[in-house]
Amino acid sequence: MPSVSSRLTGGAAVLLLATGLLSFPGLAPNPYVLSAGIVVLHYAVLATSWNFVGGFTGYLSLGHGALAGLGGYGTGLLVTKAGLNSFVALALAMLLVSALAVPIGMAALRVRGASFVIVSIALVLILLLVFQSWASLTGGSRGLVVPRPFDLSRPEHHRVFWFLFSGLLALALLAWWLIDRSRFGLGLKAIREDEDKAEALGTPTFAYKLVVFVVSAAFTALAGGLYALWFGDLDPVFQFSVLTGSYLVLMALLGGVRNLFGPLVGALVVGVALEYFKVEFGNTPLHLVATGVLLALVVLFMPDGVLPAAGSLLRRLRPAGEQASIRDVTAAELRERRRAEEVRR
Amino acid sequence: MTLQTVDLRKAFGGVTALDGATVRFRDGKINALIGPNGSGKTTYFNCVTGMIRADRGRVTYRERDLTGRAPHVIARAGIGRTFQLCRIFPRMTALDNVLAAVRPAGVFDALRGARHRVETGRARGWLTRLGIEHLAGAPAGTLSWGQQKLLELAGVLMTDPDTILLDEPAGGVNPALLDRIGTLVRELNAEGRTFVIVEHNMDLVMSLSDHIVVFDRGRPIAEGPPSVIRTDERVLGAYLGV
Repeated sequence: MPSVSSRLTGGAAVLLLATGLLSFPGLAPNPYVLSAGIVVLHYAVLATSWNFVGGFTGYLSLGHGALAGLGGYGTGLLVTKAGLNSFVALALAMLLVSALAVPIGMAALRVRGASFVIVSIALVLILLLVFQSWASLTGGSRGLVVPRPFDLSRPEHHRVFWFLFSGLLALALLAWWLIDRSRFGLGLKAIREDEDKAEALGTPTFAYKLVVFVVSAAFTALAGGLYALWFGDLDPVFQFSVLTGSYLVLMALLGGVRNLFGPLVGALVVGVALEYFKVEFGNTPLHLVATGVLLALVVLFMPDGVLPAAGSLLRRLRPAGEQASIRDVTAAELRERRRAEEVRR
Repeated sequence: MTLQTVDLRKAFGGVTALDGATVRFRDGKINALIGPNGSGKTTYFNCVTGMIRADRGRVTYRERDLTGRAPHVIARAGIGRTFQLCRIFPRMTALDNVLAAVRPAGVFDALRGARHRVETGRARGWLTRLGIEHLAGAPAGTLSWGQQKLLELAGVLMTDPDTILLDEPAGGVNPALLDRIGTLVRELNAEGRTFVIVEHNMDLVMSLSDHIVVFDRGRPIAEGPPSVIRTDERVLGAYLGV
């Protein structure tokens, strides 16, 4: 059972998040800040969606940018070529990407570790080529213009999409939380810890991985599609970029992959930093360097992410004895306890 | 009818690990699988449990052909196993380690809370029986080696297997715990579970087992009760390298 204090922390986090999401559009001083906020929120949804695979199973996908791109192009093409209503197109694109995620997952999830990372990169590169060269359908590198769903002024348009993204984020977080506490989730975490062992205990690991990959792809596609409807202009170079996947990994790792709100916090930090670096360094590759440095620092000093690091700091300040609650521990905590054990001996 | 294999073969590159292993274990008994290092015992376990695919041969269990099936299918057919180098989920609590062996009955069942009252009760029951209930909330990685071995066994027992394969249960275990493991195996066997034990500790093997199969160079060279195996010349030859 979760302890009272962890429940309180959880409740406070939800309250804080809801307040932030509801009040930001009113607090944003101008439409530019609001639109930058939407970019960050969009990253938060993507990182949370990524974390269905990355956080539960430990498979680090750099290919999620491609799934978002497919969701974006799927939505855009269904609106422009098939003349569907924007949100019908969004839902349909989500279903199509989920269906496509089955064969993709079946191919990619056969390999583990570094091989899986490489396969996921290949997915992005292949799709980039396809969407660039198939210009008659996708517009190629000239881009695809997606009409706006509402006839609103620019600030109003941003406001509406802020709340749409907020709703999607809430949905993704809810789904992650439900899986986290379920038997399915426990099986996925067992895969992360030791896949062969999980299999030997009777967990159909491949089916588990595939299901969670499809769930992840569905949310990623929704985020990509919603982005297409908001931004209104798609370019293969940005939609099918390995960078997107790398950012998501960075965000999730930075925030903490085994925490519900980890990717969200990571997206806040990295997303804001990215926007800032872009303004600061303009169109130079320096913003990539800055991002790389950030990633290196996280891996070096907070291998479990910001949230677990903050959590263990808090626990260190608290009297011992209330740490026996049943929950996941981080590698750092494990090391610490082992060290303590050795000292005791 | 029990666990049996016919002409199981497996080669890694040019090295033959299993060379036509035809074995039939005794149902409801404590079976031991012994043999010098490199005689193919662990490879045999891995082939039987589907962790690696045999090049040839058949595995059948209770008249069911399990050849080439996935490990989780074999686990669900009622064959549980432990690993030579004890494998647990280190960052999960001891209780979650055992609960991870619960098998959901369907999609909706899989989405139910992992710490369901009934299963948690069963899991705690196994932890209690193995004497590590007080560690239920501790991360499994912080347990001592012996405790981890017991925890691994608790997870396997949670799957309610009819047949349990133990890969070197005595490895790295202190004498007191060794006694406890021996007693436990006897009790579980009395409750109707079949055991197949790979072990180098001959005292344990001779005192515990009803039936012994001796491997040498990837195939069985002798089998029988401890009293017969103890004096078998082929066995002595294999161990002494004569």
